Amino acid sequence: MKQAVILAAGEGQRLRPFTVTRPKAMISIADKPILQYIIESLAQVGIRHIVLVVGYRKEQVFDYFGSGEKLGVNISYVTQAQQLGTAHALKQVKDIVKDEFLVLPGDNLIEASTIAEFTEIKPSAVLVKRVSDPVRYGVVNIQRGKVTGIVEKPKEAGSNLVNTGIYAFSKEVFDYIENELDIPDVLNNMLKEGNSLKAVETGGTWLDVVYPWDVINLNNAILQNIEVGLGGTIEDGVVIKGKVIVEEGTVIRAGSCIYGPVVIGKGCDIGPHVCVMPSTSIGDNVVLASFTQIKNSVIGDDVNIGPGCFISDSVIDNGCVIKGRFTALGGPSEIVVNAEHPSINIGVIMGEDCKIESSVTARPGVIVGNHCQVQHMKLISTCLPDNSLVF
Amino acid sequence: MCGIVGYIGDKKAQPILLNSLGKLEYRGYDSCGIAIADGGIEIYKDIVRVKALTETLTPHNGRTGIGHTRWATHGEPSKINAHPHSDCKGRIAVVHNGTINNFMKLREKLAAEGHHLASETDTEVIPHLIEKYYDGDFEKAVLLAVRELEGAYTMIAMMAGESKIIAARKESPLIIGIGDRENFIASDVPALLDYTSRVIYLEDDDIAVLTAGDVKIKQNGNAIKREEHKISWSMADAQKGGYEHFMLKEIHEQPKVIRDTLTEYLSNPEPVVQLAGVKGSSLENIVILGCGTSYHAGMVGKYIIESLLDVPVRVELADEFSYSGQSSPGSQAIVITQSGETRDVLKAIQRLKSKGSRIIAITNVVGSTVTRVADRVIYTRAGPEISVAATKTFIAELISLYWLALPYAKVDAARLDKLVLQIRQLPVKVQQILDNEDEIADFAKKLAGFENVFYIGKGINYPVALEGALKLKEISYIHAEGYAAGELKHGPFALLGEKTPVVAVVTQDETYEPTVTSIKEIKARHSPVIALVGEDDDVTKDLADYVIKVPRVDPLFSPVVNSVALQLLAYFVAEERGCPIDFPRNLAKSVTVE
Repeated sequence: MKQAVILAAGEGQRLRPFTVTRPKAMISIADKPILQYIIESLAQVGIRHIVLVVGYRKEQVFDYFGSGEKLGVNISYVTQAQQLGTAHALKQVKDIVKDEFLVLPGDNLIEASTIAEFTEIKPSAVLVKRVSDPVRYGVVNIQRGKVTGIVEKPKEAGSNLVNTGIYAFSKEVFDYIENELDIPDVLNNMLKEGNSLKAVETGGTWLDVVYPWDVINLNNAILQNIEVGLGGTIEDGVVIKGKVIVEEGTVIRAGSCIYGPVVIGKGCDIGPHVCVMPSTSIGDNVVLASFTQIKNSVIGDDVNIGPGCFISDSVIDNGCVIKGRFTALGGPSEIVVNAEHPSINIGVIMGEDCKIESSVTARPGVIVGNHCQVQHMKLISTCLPDNSLVF
Repeated sequence: MCGIVGYIGDKKAQPILLNSLGKLEYRGYDSCGIAIADGGIEIYKDIVRVKALTETLTPHNGRTGIGHTRWATHGEPSKINAHPHSDCKGRIAVVHNGTINNFMKLREKLAAEGHHLASETDTEVIPHLIEKYYDGDFEKAVLLAVRELEGAYTMIAMMAGESKIIAARKESPLIIGIGDRENFIASDVPALLDYTSRVIYLEDDDIAVLTAGDVKIKQNGNAIKREEHKISWSMADAQKGGYEHFMLKEIHEQPKVIRDTLTEYLSNPEPVVQLAGVKGSSLENIVILGCGTSYHAGMVGKYIIESLLDVPVRVELADEFSYSGQSSPGSQAIVITQSGETRDVLKAIQRLKSKGSRIIAITNVVGSTVTRVADRVIYTRAGPEISVAATKTFIAELISLYWLALPYAKVDAARLDKLVLQIRQLPVKVQQILDNEDEIADFAKKLAGFENVFYIGKGINYPVALEGALKLKEISYIHAEGYAAGELKHGPFALLGEKTPVVAVVTQDETYEPTVTSIKEIKARHSPVIALVGEDDDVTKDLADYVIKVPRVDPLFSPVVNSVALQLLAYFVAEERGCPIDFPRNLAKSVTVE
């Protein structure tokens, strides 16, 4: 199989504020969008013809991936104007794909090893993974390697094998898409008509981002596997331990400690005397001023963090300006999102382009929307919607 | 990034190679060349664009050939460094896209074995290696040569007396086009589309042998079969990366261009270039020269330098400068030319040189002519710009001017900190405008129906009004004029009315009140007003008919955000009017004639 269709049109509403300006697939984990991991995995197993189905905020995908040249792949784009479902998305590529092709979700983290064997299989097939909490997913019922049915979010799961959203199809699949909006419904149609559908189990990485704080966990998971690479300028008196990537044009100033796993992007100005502790990703063009400590966090591009700040278990999105003595430490917190309230351990989740004046403290687990402004000496104790002013 | 092509068949190779190369110019265009076999091999190459090479060539009858178009990221483009390269006897020619990591070692080895390498490029080792291994079997020689290479070595080779061309792919793309009694090969699909829609994509480590009637592909010495694809139109547009036009793609590249340009300057501990008087004397005045969009960048530069350095700056159109009075132009000159080849600028430099001015050139093309005649060069990191209407290179020129002036700014430390912080934030501010482009597209629909538009601005945004008007007239063919806000009443008022809208750039600085007054005067003449204002400006919206809000930045940096908004406005107006946006009538990307 030499061709893949990646479905990257979805918005990911539960991931706000990060998905106000970008699709879910463009959320950055360890300094790369989720979609890039998938494309790199495909390139590694020799699949270089990629059709990206884009929709919501598609320009972000165009701007980052272009024609795919930088990743050594050939990307063509198809627009799904309304994001009605995965089968509807697939229908858009009917005239572009050749006889056999893979279909993958653009917003799950997938490694090359996850799909390596699957690419050899003859359609139709679905890749499944064993999980401990199958009721959150589409459970795949299987007999002797053949799928007998797929049940979305069942009350009681008949098996621990769930649908990864990764499929091998031939063009025949389009005969079974009429008004079905989601691929599992299409599969059930195919089964009803007597077609056989293979199930292949994978032990490889397949991670989903559902909530904003999942970014922190995924970042941590991905950073464990990075390869060391020190570019830029590292001044005398900097201590670097563990696996650390520093990209070109970045300056790490004297007295700073970087304890890996850590990724620091291009053109950053770090220090003097800054501590970047394990499981932290820092984007491009970021400034971290003296005596600031950052731990287990994700910092976006163009962020400017003043002196004496403590930030842990947090996500700070692109373009935020945080003046000195900002504190956002992780702690147990309960957040209500779409009537679900999981208990988690996080610091602050901050959207794009926020301006935080000096000596502000954020209570654990608060979500600050995009373009918020917070005046000096304030305590952020509740979630702030986009464009809030705190004064 | 470079582009390479090859042809073998029953037609004349020369026009096919040149046409295909032209389609690959988005990959670079600082030098180009072709090699054609007809008995022996003849190579034509120069540091010019494909079109210029085409004009100088005499027709050649050879039916086999290869070609190359280059974009240097480091190292100078020169005639000798341009591709194709050949071996000692001139019987083998090679074009290459990539970087060979172990070329120094190979070079030394080849030199020790008596090979004469003429250029400084890594590519040249390939033909010499092929020559070394050639014992009557061209294919075997290429295979053995490739085995010695480390790095990215995607290349195409040909040899006198052989009726085949051989290609190898490693890391950079290579695509074979299947024809009828002819075959093609190129870095990207658009180069093939005029001739065939049947293609084969090569994979890493593939070696392909093309003859007029056949294509054979091998990997590790074993013949393999690669699937043939039929190209659909969407793939042909791949180089536009999803967008309908290069212009919109390039507008969208601007946050990255700003970031890359800044990274380049910030990571350098020394100032990019030094502003100084002659032989260390104090800086008394500066003259800035440019044409078109670069002239507008220079005008913004005047405001930047005068407000930060308190040094008088004179900005002139390069062509006019050559004919104006012959007084001393001043000790320090800055010339701005995207291509580095603008004839009017190069001519003006002669006068500057004769008067002893020190010349700083701002350009986007490494090794272009201007870089050889200027004393110092600042490169903008905008990458190749295909759209005739300059967008990202204008913004990159502005960033260069800010960065040229900031190290010498006579402002207090707190203000300097604020400026450095804000310049680093520009990518995200520009991104916000792009994220809201649908709003601007709506305003554009309203503007598209008019035939005359005025743009006004004041202070540092006066040149932005000129640039906004230039963009509109270039691509939408609407007659547009940029004016200083206060000048409108000295004449152009006679043209105002319901059918003549005015786009007003409003800045939150000392020009704010007078600009608002100008808008009131314009409204009294019933012209529709589209105002470009900072996001927290609540006054102008009651005066103007339509308001485009841009993110609030320091007035010094407002030309960046305002220009991006006006680029989008011009783009969407032209789109609404169905104009050929990337290649407007009568215009060329760089003007190398007087």
